[in-house]
Amino acid sequence: MKGAARDAALAVLALVVILGLLVGLARTGTLAVPPPEGNRPLADKFLKTTYNWTSDLWSASPEVVTSILWDYRGLDTVYETGVFFLAIIGAIALVRGIKTPSLRWRGMSVVARTVSKITLVAIPVVAASIALHGHLTPGGGFQGGSVFAVASLLAIVALGTGFLTGRGWSKDRLLAFRTLGLLLIALVAVSALILALLKGEMGYIMQNQWKPWARVGLGYLFGGGNGILYSGSLFFLNLAEFLAVSAGLSLVFILMGLPWESLKGGASE
Amino acid sequence: MMVYLTAFALIMLGIAGMLFRRNLLKIIMALSVADSGAYLLLIAIGYRSGGTAPILTGYEGGPMVDPLPQALVLTAIVIGVCVLIMAVSLVVNVYRHYGTLDVSELRRLRG
Repeated sequence: MKGAARDAALAVLALVVILGLLVGLARTGTLAVPPPEGNRPLADKFLKTTYNWTSDLWSASPEVVTSILWDYRGLDTVYETGVFFLAIIGAIALVRGIKTPSLRWRGMSVVARTVSKITLVAIPVVAASIALHGHLTPGGGFQGGSVFAVASLLAIVALGTGFLTGRGWSKDRLLAFRTLGLLLIALVAVSALILALLKGEMGYIMQNQWKPWARVGLGYLFGGGNGILYSGSLFFLNLAEFLAVSAGLSLVFILMGLPWESLKGGASE
Repeated sequence: MMVYLTAFALIMLGIAGMLFRRNLLKIIMALSVADSGAYLLLIAIGYRSGGTAPILTGYEGGPMVDPLPQALVLTAIVIGVCVLIMAVSLVVNVYRHYGTLDVSELRRLRG
């Protein structure tokens, strides 16, 4: 059993590395017990500027994590969404040539199907509330999109893939929505820059709010005065990400939910 | 203390699963468990004594936890999902071409 001996050696090695990491992190104070009191300077800066309109760096959102994701480190998140898009493209490329079978399976029992149909209405509502309040409460585009994809998964499991494909949720259409979401993100990302160029001012990619040295911004109150807070680009980016992630994950679930028989026949291409 | 140990235990469980399981899908599940351990560790590092969630809606003073690891973990979760998607589609392809998910079987089929 040469393979088993090698696996055991690897396991011991991994154990040593991880224990070393644990001891090392504990000794440098990163794994402090009890947890430290104050925040590090960078975190403190984020916490103090994000909803402080007197600051030049404010992002008009009380949700600090969303501000970091879509404003302070916005480009990071754009690239992350790009990686997600490429993963979906890769998945489609890898399972190409699988024919969608004649979907005769009508799903589970009547009880399961009825309950699923009720929850199928409720889940997207929750998903939309998570995504559209991403700049106010915990959540955001990705979280909302993931919750939405749960509804697709439920439909696939309880009602059969045919329930979705029969309602026009084809692979190409979902991919088109996924691409539309990504394009909207790109559009919002450059919108402040375009505004700045039109006005002959300084502007940045992924700029959200007005800055003294780059005097363009996407606003933050809908209706002026005591209007509704929408936090500039954060709301639109969350909306676009919600569209992108819900379409993308639903697409992946439909691909992965294809039945066993359609996988066996597709080996020759 | 407990949370750090839980995180490291999850990482080790994941690595053990990746090494000692033979089914490709179980290996992917173990990878996902190790991922979760890493997320838990990062979030635990960002915790501050008595801290609340870093959200200023209805904020009433007091310390807040570090928001930066949370943003990092959100990115990491998305990348983790990407890795899972790619891995599962590769496994689907392996099954189509070899008809098995057992890695020792796959090793024998080489050539």
